[in-house]
Amino acid sequence: MGGSRAGLHTLVGAYVMDAVPDADRAAFERHLTGCEPCREEVRGLREATARLGAAVAIEPRPQLRDQTLSAARRLRQLPPLVAQRRDPRMARRPARWTRLSGAVRQSWLARLAATAAVILAVVVVGLSLHLTSMQHRLSSDEQGSHAIAAVLGASDAKMMTAKVRTGGMATVVMSHRARELVFTASKLSVLPQSRAYELWLMGPAGDKPVGMLAPAHGGMAGPMVVRGLVHGDRLVLTVEPVGGSPQPTTSPIVVIGLGI
Amino acid sequence: MPDVPADDAAPGRAEPARPAAADGGLERAIRAVARGDERAFTTVYDQVAAAVLGTARRVLRDPAQSEEVMQEVLLEVWRTAARFDPASGSAFSWIMMLAHRRAVDRVRTEQRAADRQLRAARASIEYDEVIDAVESRLEHERVRRCLGSLTDLQRESVTLAYYGGYSYPEVARLLGVAVGTVKTRMRDGLIRLRDCLGVE
Repeated sequence: MGGSRAGLHTLVGAYVMDAVPDADRAAFERHLTGCEPCREEVRGLREATARLGAAVAIEPRPQLRDQTLSAARRLRQLPPLVAQRRDPRMARRPARWTRLSGAVRQSWLARLAATAAVILAVVVVGLSLHLTSMQHRLSSDEQGSHAIAAVLGASDAKMMTAKVRTGGMATVVMSHRARELVFTASKLSVLPQSRAYELWLMGPAGDKPVGMLAPAHGGMAGPMVVRGLVHGDRLVLTVEPVGGSPQPTTSPIVVIGLGI
Repeated sequence: MPDVPADDAAPGRAEPARPAAADGGLERAIRAVARGDERAFTTVYDQVAAAVLGTARRVLRDPAQSEEVMQEVLLEVWRTAARFDPASGSAFSWIMMLAHRRAVDRVRTEQRAADRQLRAARASIEYDEVIDAVESRLEHERVRRCLGSLTDLQRESVTLAYYGGYSYPEVARLLGVAVGTVKTRMRDGLIRLRDCLGVE
């Protein structure tokens, strides 16, 4: 462990120059979250690389200035990320990750198997009608199940729950190493037909829609696998028009910091 | 030369010389941009557009693509200004991080194998070009001098990664040294550069 941590730490130079391949970067960013001196070094080295950039400045064509300024005027800005602190109905103490115990893992896998059984039953009933599309559905569901099982089975899987402001609980099981998580929610409030729950990743670089939560099955919504998590991302749930929105249009009803 | 705003400079304490773009004025402008202040955004543009464009141009080479990246980065700054976190560094380094990352992402997604070989063939002249470009202005001169204080391997590792947009395994291949060596030289080189430039 000591050797690999030291090995990771030397990546800091390559990291601030965006010279680290994706797989290494995930490992390094995980290392960063638990290492304040490393984050301090990243800050300092970033200032140095910024100067490398400043040293090769090129004056842009004058037209670009007006183009950029007027494009900005037409572009809606993202709100700051504050929901967790501002709303007193949300969890008062910071949520904590808990290690996924064997028992919890088993119960999740059992729940997953139950979900798969429901899907399978639906498939069998509809089989004669839409054979091809159902097969598609089955295979993508199967892939989903594999992905879920992979996260739940990860040796570093941790679980976090958070209250949803409008009712219900959100649960995240995450593998920091794989940068993947599984999201489920239980007892979510029933929405009008025109509205649906949409899941987002919000980070320093913007908001990314993850997907619409299928209407709850016996009080459970999801499970949904979220991949490609990057440093600073938070998982956010909002209520949107039923077809989904490219940007959140209502305030978050739950915000979960992912600690990456 | 450094234009230090009066309300930021602690009285009786000498501020280290920093480029105009890295002082508190940019942080203030970003905070105003976060509130939708269009005039503040023109300030931000005027302070960083040239550095962003220059960085993109270094990595991408293609003038049209570089201009696109510059505009994308500035619009990203406008859009996400409210999420800028001063605790993680200066506003200038945040913007330059967005610029470099975006330029490198473009290279990595668009570059075909043949292209990459072409760039490898050109890599040997990267350092000379950097030196050519860093003239006249004080900032350029300081960076050039500080780059000159690095060992050859440190300097080549840093310039190939930052200006060339190469990953560290690619740099190792180009320089014919072990990946572990390149990782270390990149870090040591940047630490030396940081200390030489006197940035915190």
